[in-house]
Amino acid sequence: MSSENARRLHPVAVLFEAVQITRHWLGVLLGGGVAALASNGLPVHVVVAAGVALLISGSAVWGVLYWRTTSYWIAEGSFVLHRGVLSRKQRTIPLERIQSVDVVQGVLQRLFGVVEVRVETAGGGSRSPEAVLPALNREAAEALRRELEGPGTAGEGRRPPDKTLRRLSTGDLLLAGATSGQIGIALSLIGATWQAADNFLPQDLTLRLAERFAPHSAVGWASLALAAGLLAWLLSIGGTVLAYAGFTLSREGGMLHIRRGLLERNEAALPVSRIQAVRIVEGVLRQPLGLATLRVESAGYGKDAGVSTTLFPLLPRSRAHELLLAVVPEFAADPVLHRPPARARRRYAIRSALPAAALAAALILLFTTLADAGPPGLLPVLVVPPALLYGLLRHRDTGWAISGDRLVLRTRRLSRTTTIIPLRCLQSRSVVQNPLQRRARLAGFQVSIASGRGRVHTTITDLDAASAHTLLVRTGSPA
Amino acid sequence: MSEGPSRRLDPKARTLWRVHGTLFSPPVLAAGGGGSWALLERAQIPPWLAFSPGVAAAALALVLVTVLPPARWHRWRYEVRGEEVDLERGVLWRRRTLVPLSRVQHVDTKSGPLQRRFGLATVEIYTAAGSEEIPQLAVSVADELRENISALAQTHDVL
Repeated sequence: MSSENARRLHPVAVLFEAVQITRHWLGVLLGGGVAALASNGLPVHVVVAAGVALLISGSAVWGVLYWRTTSYWIAEGSFVLHRGVLSRKQRTIPLERIQSVDVVQGVLQRLFGVVEVRVETAGGGSRSPEAVLPALNREAAEALRRELEGPGTAGEGRRPPDKTLRRLSTGDLLLAGATSGQIGIALSLIGATWQAADNFLPQDLTLRLAERFAPHSAVGWASLALAAGLLAWLLSIGGTVLAYAGFTLSREGGMLHIRRGLLERNEAALPVSRIQAVRIVEGVLRQPLGLATLRVESAGYGKDAGVSTTLFPLLPRSRAHELLLAVVPEFAADPVLHRPPARARRRYAIRSALPAAALAAALILLFTTLADAGPPGLLPVLVVPPALLYGLLRHRDTGWAISGDRLVLRTRRLSRTTTIIPLRCLQSRSVVQNPLQRRARLAGFQVSIASGRGRVHTTITDLDAASAHTLLVRTGSPA
Repeated sequence: MSEGPSRRLDPKARTLWRVHGTLFSPPVLAAGGGGSWALLERAQIPPWLAFSPGVAAAALALVLVTVLPPARWHRWRYEVRGEEVDLERGVLWRRRTLVPLSRVQHVDTKSGPLQRRFGLATVEIYTAAGSEEIPQLAVSVADELRENISALAQTHDVL
């Protein structure tokens, strides 16, 4: 079942597979060893030595068999992966179905100077890549990538080297971490660590620690919260540095290449033809500094939405258009936006203030029923003004325009996001209208595009009803 | 602004939706009646307040069976024209959707057991970003529409 040009993995794959299989069976072995110890009185060191010897030799043999039975080749326009020690499997992926070829280098792979190649297709919603080659040397990986990516250019010999278009400076990297807004995630991580410590340490130790060090004043609590927040902030900077250190973005023909990562080097290749939309995201912490992140929505490319869809982690908002022009001119558009009418402002305000008011009312009611909680005052009412302000901001930031064959939509959902979609990528468009909007002659406009995450909607709400219908008709495919 | 789509669903849709409403009514009535019964057990609640969940449930069931089916049918329109599939529906929340034929990946017709009794079928139009449905068409109309859309989708794909 093999082919003449079948290729093998780098021999270090034997080791990787052996390590993996050892990890896999370690638990079973421990269980078996304990059972053996319990049943008959064999000396401990004999059981342990026998177990370890068995595991290591078994893993080594398995690793070799794995390496010998794994091969791949390209034949008749398809990528073929053949593998399986006990049951043989052969997977055939037509080249035109291949969505992306990622080259990843984990810490272990770095140690041996090899890379992992992941091949993904557009099909299904499966999170794991369709084919993973855990160890190839760099030349083999490059050769494979070239063959997989450019069926048409295979005969042209060596391609010119990538033209690096943009690099993320160290200063920007740190700034990106500082403004990433992932403090919440880091805080929950700290909480989880505390929880784990609570489970592992002797029962009353954490309690005693807590009692001993728990602050006894408001100032104490405040400084504890501040310290936790600071730690979380540093963690989020660290996380960003790990993920995005050495970020470079380059383009070669119809391919975008994104390289990033400190410990695990990650190289993603993304066909420009698969990109459905570009988003310019101005986060809450970044917008005041005039900074933004560029993201892409790409069809059938969704294993790690947070990272792999980042086109560029941080740049001044004012330079976003210039970067898009240089890297993906297909998605560059910077028109003046139309805005919802002034009479829609009231609806935006009510839409966000009403839930806040309901929440405040419920809280006040709750406090007054639980009479012994003391006089509640009107403190919960304080949530209403920020909600109102948020609604007004949403009204101010909503906008749209058709620029040539591209649709530009700007919305705010905490972050202000400008989405640029070529009209040919719009899978469907809708105008939606509820009874209140009908009375006020307003309507929402919604588009759906294909994405690795499945269907993605972008909605702008409370436009003038007539302009929403005009937009619906004018966003038809270019003739 | 162009005019909306013109074709309607099969008139039998109203009857089918009435059946749906009838099937959905018992749980609604049970919830309302249960709520009223629980409130009546408490002496300090005035009877009119205690009866209100049951009355509301009965009103809702009535709307589901009598008012909603014809209103839905009345508001549902569709048309395949030019280069797009045009859909308009919704009684309170109205929605008009345009799907370009060139984005259509494939078209299905499907028919549940109840639908088959009425000789009705649903056409489901798939794009790369999910699907849109045209429900309750006569089976022959649905089959014709499916063939029509998929043929048009192919010619537009070539362009």
